[in-house]
Amino acid sequence: MKQEESEILKQIGKDPGFKIPENYFDDFNARMMDLLPEVEITEVDNKPSLWVTVRPYIYMAAMFAGVWCMMKVFTHFNQNISAEQRVSEVATGIYIDNNADEFIMSGGASDYDIMSYEDSVLMDANETQD
Amino acid sequence: MASRSTYDEEAVVERLHHQDTAREAFGEVISHYSSSLYWQIRRMVIDHDDANDVLQNTFLKAWTSIDNFRGDAKLSTWLFKIAINESITFINKKKAQNNISLDDDDSFLVNTLESDRWFDGDEAQIKLQQAIATLPEKQRLVFNMRYYDDMKYEDMSQILGTSTGALKASYHHAIKKIETFFEEHD
Repeated sequence: MKQEESEILKQIGKDPGFKIPENYFDDFNARMMDLLPEVEITEVDNKPSLWVTVRPYIYMAAMFAGVWCMMKVFTHFNQNISAEQRVSEVATGIYIDNNADEFIMSGGASDYDIMSYEDSVLMDANETQD
Repeated sequence: MASRSTYDEEAVVERLHHQDTAREAFGEVISHYSSSLYWQIRRMVIDHDDANDVLQNTFLKAWTSIDNFRGDAKLSTWLFKIAINESITFINKKKAQNNISLDDDDSFLVNTLESDRWFDGDEAQIKLQQAIATLPEKQRLVFNMRYYDDMKYEDMSQILGTSTGALKASYHHAIKKIETFFEEHD
């Protein structure tokens, strides 16, 4: 911002015309010290407490524990879901052994083999349901 | 002043918070700030003896409440705030003693300026003081800090708790009012 200019102020200048007694500030400083009453200063302990020192490490440990717990819970539920899914797939006959599936797809099995394999899968499913 | 060259505010503030070093440290604070605070107060209350009393009260208040100063703000900001509050309290008391309404301006302070032994200004300087005294309190403070002390608006903002934009506007209005005063009293 451009400094404000005023012709009147420029003419008068920055001296307000105030005067002070000689050695005023030296005398004042000495006099002021005598006037200061006794005060009780509350000492500020700048040394950090044990809690302040260990706090970041505790927070970090808690964070890692939290992450570990979340991963544990996630893995646990994931395993349960996989087991249930597998049982469900076998029960409904959807589950087909990957190796057998690949063998059938590659044309390595005859119609009889395929029918025998499907029968065995159905039998497995029925046994699981029982 | 000898202590000025060696004044280390951070170290002084640290020493202010210990019983055995506080008094000596406050002595350094007095030596370092008495001049700048005096002139700020003097421009508000005009009279030297009044300025001396207000300056004394400022340091007494600062000393007795030194525990409240935790170094969150600059020591100078804290001291200037106390000085301004003490100046305003003093002016209001003087108004009450002279049966002047608190809503009236502070021009009564300049009435005795001509006969003041601690003033040797000319007519133009008296007129400028009269013009400044007619300003609202905040504009007066802003004008004095900016015009006489060249204080930065950012520092003023810390002391007066007002935005820099508002302070710039205050200074602009103050100059316009002073110019108008001079035109009307020509």
